Amino acid sequence: MPLFDTEFLKKLEYLSLVSRRMFRGSLLAQRRTMQTGGGIEFADHREYSHGDDFRHLDWNVFARHGQLLLKRFQEEEDLHVYLLLDCSRSMAFGSPPKFDLARQIVAALAYIALADLDRVAVIAFADDIIADFPLTRGKDRILSLLKFLEGLEVQGEATDLGRVVKAFTQRPQRHGLAVVVSDLFDPQGYERGFDLLRYRNYELHAVQLHDRQEAEPSLLGELELVDIESDGGQQVTITENALKKYRTLFEDFQESLRKYGRKYGVGLTQTRCEVPFDELILKMMRASGAVG
Amino acid sequence: MSLASPLALLWLAALIPVVVFYILKIRLRRVPVSTILFWRQIYDEQQPRSIWQRMRHWLSLLAQVVLILLLVLALADPFFAWETRQLRRIVLIVDNSASMNATDVSPSRLAAAKDEALRVIRGMRFRDELAIVTAGGSPRVVCGFSSHSRTLSHAIDDVVATDNPTRVIEAVELARRLLGERQDEHQREIVVLTDTAKGQARQNSNLADHSAERAPASPPPNLNFEVPDPGLQIRTRRFGTNAGNVGITQFQTRRSLIDPLGYEILVEVTNASDELVECRLEIDLNDEVVDVVPLKLTPGQRWSQSFEKTSADGGHLMAKLDRADTLAVDNRAWAVLPQREMLPVTLVTEGNLFLQKVFESNPLVTLTRIDPPGWKPPGSRIRQNAGTENSNVAFNSARSLATAATSGITVLHRHVPEVLPSGAVLVIDPRNSCEAWQLGEPIQNPIVHQQDKDSPVLGHVRLDNVVMPEARQVTFASDEGVKVLARSVAGDPLLATIERPGQKVLLLTVNLDEGDLPLRTAFPILMMNALNWCTENRGELRESLPTGAITEIDVAALRSVGQAFQPDPNAPSDVELNQTTRPAGVAGTTGQPGKADLRLVAPDGRRSALPTPSERLSLGPFDQCGVWRVVADEGDTTLLELACNLADRNESDVRVPKSDAATSASVVSTGWLGNRPVWFWLIAVAWLLMAVEWWAYQRRVIE
Repeated sequence: MPLFDTEFLKKLEYLSLVSRRMFRGSLLAQRRTMQTGGGIEFADHREYSHGDDFRHLDWNVFARHGQLLLKRFQEEEDLHVYLLLDCSRSMAFGSPPKFDLARQIVAALAYIALADLDRVAVIAFADDIIADFPLTRGKDRILSLLKFLEGLEVQGEATDLGRVVKAFTQRPQRHGLAVVVSDLFDPQGYERGFDLLRYRNYELHAVQLHDRQEAEPSLLGELELVDIESDGGQQVTITENALKKYRTLFEDFQESLRKYGRKYGVGLTQTRCEVPFDELILKMMRASGAVG
Repeated sequence: MSLASPLALLWLAALIPVVVFYILKIRLRRVPVSTILFWRQIYDEQQPRSIWQRMRHWLSLLAQVVLILLLVLALADPFFAWETRQLRRIVLIVDNSASMNATDVSPSRLAAAKDEALRVIRGMRFRDELAIVTAGGSPRVVCGFSSHSRTLSHAIDDVVATDNPTRVIEAVELARRLLGERQDEHQREIVVLTDTAKGQARQNSNLADHSAERAPASPPPNLNFEVPDPGLQIRTRRFGTNAGNVGITQFQTRRSLIDPLGYEILVEVTNASDELVECRLEIDLNDEVVDVVPLKLTPGQRWSQSFEKTSADGGHLMAKLDRADTLAVDNRAWAVLPQREMLPVTLVTEGNLFLQKVFESNPLVTLTRIDPPGWKPPGSRIRQNAGTENSNVAFNSARSLATAATSGITVLHRHVPEVLPSGAVLVIDPRNSCEAWQLGEPIQNPIVHQQDKDSPVLGHVRLDNVVMPEARQVTFASDEGVKVLARSVAGDPLLATIERPGQKVLLLTVNLDEGDLPLRTAFPILMMNALNWCTENRGELRESLPTGAITEIDVAALRSVGQAFQPDPNAPSDVELNQTTRPAGVAGTTGQPGKADLRLVAPDGRRSALPTPSERLSLGPFDQCGVWRVVADEGDTTLLELACNLADRNESDVRVPKSDAATSASVVSTGWLGNRPVWFWLIAVAWLLMAVEWWAYQRRVIE
């Protein structure tokens, strides 16, 4: 079954219709590219100061009240949306695989952005950036983007978000919205990458995916656990007590993500991989106020 | 150690699949996970594994291998050599005699003995065999040798209390025979649970008195059953205290020798205690007080007294003491007093004052005097028709003399018909011959030279100095049924009896008018004996039996009693059959015991069927005090009643010396294996091992 079929495209269209303002001004409750200047839409007044362009003086106010006030206009600018997609092998875990949902989410977000005439780039990464869909604009590019996403495969070794972000931010590009779609199982910790994005003035939003077996594993007995990213193994005897500890640790990990988001104003969406992508997008839009 | 089932070791092959499957099981399963971060955090926090944790798999495998080894070894049923050497064959003797009913040991001595017996059974070692013998009355094996504890326990539970005398010595002899004389490797033991005092020969003092009615018992070689016997261990546990008891040790009745309606009671009360006892003895006849005697008995005193009473109606005599003591069964005693029946006597004579008065003086006799010309022999018609009516002859032949006697007794004085009547006939001083004898010349002064002292007719009668002039010589037509009781010097019969089917004849050839026999005291006694002989002692007392006794009864007499009360269409019209004549001990009857099964009914209502031989029937041993009944199965008709009393001084003496009670410790013994076979303990260890393994591994004590 193809990942992006006609039904998927219909859902994308629907989502784009209901989320006209998603990135423009209120995505994740963040004002994005507000600049006053040469736009056509009036914004407000300010006191005239020396050196200001006389053309922007509001002569009507001066005639009525004798005050020199400068008219300000909202300058409209296209948004740069960077979608960072985790393609590490851990994303192949789950039922259905987290990687499928991640690509569907990236496709949906890209479609909505392209429909709003924003610029979208997709960066696939694992331990490093492994593939790139450069900044593009226009809805007609969506098919190329979907084809790019379909061509991606899980690969690489252990996820290294810090290394990926470092390479990403060193690129000569405008700042914009950085959406990281990943399970965030980074042995070095996701914080390094997130911090770097914030320091580089990227608006950060994280979509964290996990499987039910990752949250509540049903393993018991004598086992050799194999990390599918690093191929590292560990012989363990899993007991109910160990399972209890695991669940506690996983919940702590999820809670640390939420704390990080609250602390640094990072948008965060946590979901299980069995959730349909359109529901998840709608949920994100509801959270951002893009839809009622 | 040896194995009873070495082939079971083949089950050790089960070790192979167990080990293989276990190794396959403990091979680690590789499970891919998306990240191992969290698992590492869990297990890296834990302390380094102990030696138990590192060895856990091998310890588990070892436990399972040991488990299989234990189970297979248990299947092989191992046993030690000493087990066979110390194998015991035990005979457990439980004394359930009357004295064991004493309540000085709560709830009773027998209950305590049964509890001890159960403890002995529980203390049996594996492979021990035990048999159970009761010693109350005739020793009885209630359970043969068995190792099955449940069977033995049930046998002990089924041992019931009896009123029988103790027969521990015979029981020990029986146990010796059960154990055999074989000196093999088995240990032979006899465990006696009794209240018999140490070294006391508890032989029933009344045994000699009733030896004829008791079951034959071989005399024991030793009166003390605890004599040492190589290879045989006798252990005794005695139950009881030194509690005293007062009991009726003798209660018998007999007919008065001088009063036909009178009877005499002999009562003996024994104070088997160490203190002075005051009590009251009451004698009842059919629940009506006959006599009351206050008693004051010194320690060990035996008080006895005879009472003379009169009663024609008869009934149940009961003596009872008003003292509640440790043994209740000897506080009451019973006797059966049969009803005296009126006896019709037809005196055919031309006149003899002595003869008439001797019958008139008997209150049981209804005398009818008839002159010879007006008398017609009652049985002559039957006799005359014998040749033509075979059925009537057969009927009369089958009927016993007792039945014929119900029509009364015919006394023929001088006048003798040619054919003697049927039934009971007394012929005195015959003057003419008949079909039974030919009369000869008179004997002038015969002297009784020879007298049958064993004949009931001559009981308490001596004729050797009686003058009997003009006695007649008699020549009997046939010797069949003829018994001469007294002869003259010349050998002529003076007194004889003739017993033929349907006929009993007593012949006295003495001329009463000439001799001095009517003036002698022997004459009324002779006539009384003659009447009793004719009626076969009906109404005579049957003595009270001691418990454990066996007696015999005449089944034919019982049958005749039943027939006697049935109207017989074949009976001659001139024979009165509506008279009720009962044998000794019979209170009343209306049934037909000859056609019905007989049953013996115990005082507590227990019924047991009796075999019905043609002649005599043995009853007993009677194991309960009270009045026993023989009944016809149909209609519950009582045919015979028998009184049974403890009447045993030894049983009434329930005291157990303190020294005996103190030295009789528990006889329970156990082996070091707890009386369990080796396989039991192997299974127990396997079970324990399995539990520990489950607790340690399934409960994750070892991780």
